[in-house]
Amino acid sequence: MLQVRNIEKYYGNKNNVTKALDRVSFDVGAGEFLAIMGASGSGKTTLLNCISTIDTISAGKILLDGTSVADLSQAELAKFRRERLGFVFQDFNLLDTLTVEENIGLALALDHADPAAVQRQVRDVAQKLGITDILEKFPYQVSGGQKQRTACARAIVAGQSLLLADEPTGALDSKASKNLLEIMDAMNRDMGTTILMVTHDAYSASYAKRVLFLKDGRVFNELLRGDRGRPVFYHEILDVLAALGGDVSDVI
Amino acid sequence: MSVTLSKLSLRNAKRQAKDYLIYFVTVVMAAALLYSFNGLVFSQEIDALSRGMAMLPMMIVLASIVVVCVFGWLVAYATRFMLLRRGRELGTYLLIGLESKQVVRLFFLENLAVGGCALAMGVGLGGLLYQAFRAMVLAMFGLPYRFAFGFSLPAVGLTAAYFALIYLYALRRSRKYIRRANIRDLLYFDRQNEGTVIRTGKGRQALFALSILLGIAGTVLLMMPDLTLAVIGAGCVIAALFGSFLSFASGVPAFFDKRPARKYKGQNLLVFRSLTAKLATMGVLMATISMIFTATLISEGTGLVFRGLFLGRAAEDSCFDLYISIDGEQMGLESCLDYVREHIPTERSLLYSIYRSENAQLLEYLDLEDDAFHYDYAQDPVLRYSDYAALRAIAGYPPVELALGQYLLHTQPHVAGRLRDRRDPIALGGKTLAPGGIHTEPLMQSFGVSNGTWYALVVPDEAAEGLAVHHWAYAAKTAQPVPEQDFYDLTVLADQVGFEWQVATKAHAEAEAASQTALCVFPLYYLALSLTMTAATILTIQQLSESDRYRKQFALLQKLGMDRREMAKALRTQFAIYYAMPAIPPVLIGVPFIVHLAQLPEPGVMVGANAPFAILCSALAVFFLIYTVYIALAYISLKRNVLPEAV
Repeated sequence: MLQVRNIEKYYGNKNNVTKALDRVSFDVGAGEFLAIMGASGSGKTTLLNCISTIDTISAGKILLDGTSVADLSQAELAKFRRERLGFVFQDFNLLDTLTVEENIGLALALDHADPAAVQRQVRDVAQKLGITDILEKFPYQVSGGQKQRTACARAIVAGQSLLLADEPTGALDSKASKNLLEIMDAMNRDMGTTILMVTHDAYSASYAKRVLFLKDGRVFNELLRGDRGRPVFYHEILDVLAALGGDVSDVI
Repeated sequence: MSVTLSKLSLRNAKRQAKDYLIYFVTVVMAAALLYSFNGLVFSQEIDALSRGMAMLPMMIVLASIVVVCVFGWLVAYATRFMLLRRGRELGTYLLIGLESKQVVRLFFLENLAVGGCALAMGVGLGGLLYQAFRAMVLAMFGLPYRFAFGFSLPAVGLTAAYFALIYLYALRRSRKYIRRANIRDLLYFDRQNEGTVIRTGKGRQALFALSILLGIAGTVLLMMPDLTLAVIGAGCVIAALFGSFLSFASGVPAFFDKRPARKYKGQNLLVFRSLTAKLATMGVLMATISMIFTATLISEGTGLVFRGLFLGRAAEDSCFDLYISIDGEQMGLESCLDYVREHIPTERSLLYSIYRSENAQLLEYLDLEDDAFHYDYAQDPVLRYSDYAALRAIAGYPPVELALGQYLLHTQPHVAGRLRDRRDPIALGGKTLAPGGIHTEPLMQSFGVSNGTWYALVVPDEAAEGLAVHHWAYAAKTAQPVPEQDFYDLTVLADQVGFEWQVATKAHAEAEAASQTALCVFPLYYLALSLTMTAATILTIQQLSESDRYRKQFALLQKLGMDRREMAKALRTQFAIYYAMPAIPPVLIGVPFIVHLAQLPEPGVMVGANAPFAILCSALAVFFLIYTVYIALAYISLKRNVLPEAV
């Protein structure tokens, strides 16, 4: 589904260049749940931003279902984001002036979809994510966990094929985090949503089927969960993090 | 569920108006100001008041062009400011798949809603404001005012056109920004660091010193009569403001860093860190605001000086309902008097002579020979007591007695004090006359062919016998105010007879003063109000945008054990410094300028409530009154939002 080929990303000016990504390559299959881990400054958010078209790449290629995102025009990019990509951020990025229901359905409504169909789709996804009872509320009236579930609902309501999550549990307490991760797991398992999640939290990453470790802008290691249970996978992740260089302190 | 672009825009507009209430109020006031002044432009009632008022629409339209630019800058600045602060929200729109043109439309619609709402409210408020202006103008012409609320469609149309220009300019800039912005910059805008403008200590100190010198030189040059020098002075002042603010603002952290004892004294650390976080990057803005305040204060002072000048001159020229004088020893007033007999019914009148004394005792005493404002009397001017008594009666002044062997002095107030000290008798027609008193009511004493320039001796009739005639004059109390047409006809007749002449009517002098005051004061105050509101709003937007940061800071300080009273004190100090900084240079530049300007007119005009010091105080009071309203609103809002609840 997603192919990342030798991408590089440089920041700065001619006197001071920072290489944020250095020839990163990997594939994500349809229906996969992939976590990307790394310490602060390892390039994981930059990688996610490049894949999500928020940021541009300096070299390489990113193909989603065979389409190179770099070759799309502004209008095509907007359509691409609307129909194919869903986003979940650490700080939710919900619009305060809209209710939870409206936040979820905004992109569909502005795309001139049939209002009745929009409401149906919104209610459908809200039910799956357990937020039906807060649909009429505004973001400032609900908890962090509910906000993040709202963001998840918004990310998949239009049938987007890839959900990109940047530290989705970063602003949540442990209970809400667990709840959200279980929902994401269910979205992946039951709804076939492909998820690419950036996190520095080993516990969150243990919900994924595969974990890529980044260090200094490069893919340092890859860990597959296979048939192992989540607790075992969690400890393996911790081991890799320890080998990665003393980042255990970053872990819950 | 049906969220449309327009619904979303409307909700955002409501939030925008609430979050930036002071800005919204200013935009409403801008619409009110534009509408009320446009009301004056299109008012036939005002236009019909006097010939002089014909220029008023043009003056107001010219001022409106500047005002539209000023408000255009405010709206563009505020729109851009809000746009940047809403980067995350705009980024989210783009992220969920809105095209940038949809975001532009969204932003356009919400600003259209805010602007439209402000325009509608402003026009309503402007209707009332127009009534206030109308009342002022009518009062200036001495006419009764009756409240009559109504809307002028052309004024509404012109106001809407100005508003469209203001918003189109601001939105064009915003559209450019949104189209060019990339999602990453929008989403992570609030994480970007701000940069300082000037970093090196030596460069900063040199620039600051140079700026101060430039500021002093510029202020002195501004007061020069030569226009080129004044323009150079204005340039120096502007350069000085930018130089000093750029160097000073970024120099504050360095100052405290070098003086740790001061930094850690009392609340200095808290206040200075709160301030420097803003000031270090606000040099250009502070300088711009300071420049605007300087222009405001100068506009207000200049407006008051002109008002004082016109009223002062009118007071002298309007003492008689009708006054005509023509130079020459021979009576040349026949044609004018024929005209008066034919056209202007009078209740009392006097045809009389102003005589030349045999000497110039008072002229020499006052040392007026070389005075640029003093007209051509080589000897002291003399009035017969009987003429003087009749003139007083015509002017409506109480009668005065002249004792035997005495003379009176009728002077303008500015020379009265000097003449009061002179107790020597005067010699006239072989008689010696002792000083019998000084009177200072207005009596046409400003020009050559008047009742003496600044002063006249009033002597017993027999003492004036045999004195040479300086010129002839006619004064009358008329049954009705002299119509303007009669005034102009008389000037034409006088001009045909005399080389130097004077025709004055109370009605014309007052109308002239009223229209000249309206022509100068209305546009200048229009500009001043717009400038103050704009600058104070921008300062306030900047200050209130920090509410979140302050709230977190004070919540933390409370946890660290800081008393709420101390917090309020720190907030007040920080607030006072923030608002005082851009107001200090305008006071330093404006005060000498206004005092100097108020001293330029001829003596005797700028007196009483129009004396230089009184004008300065009035200008400062008007300026600080408006400024204080904004400061108080901002302080109340900030205090309520950021200080923890009192326990």
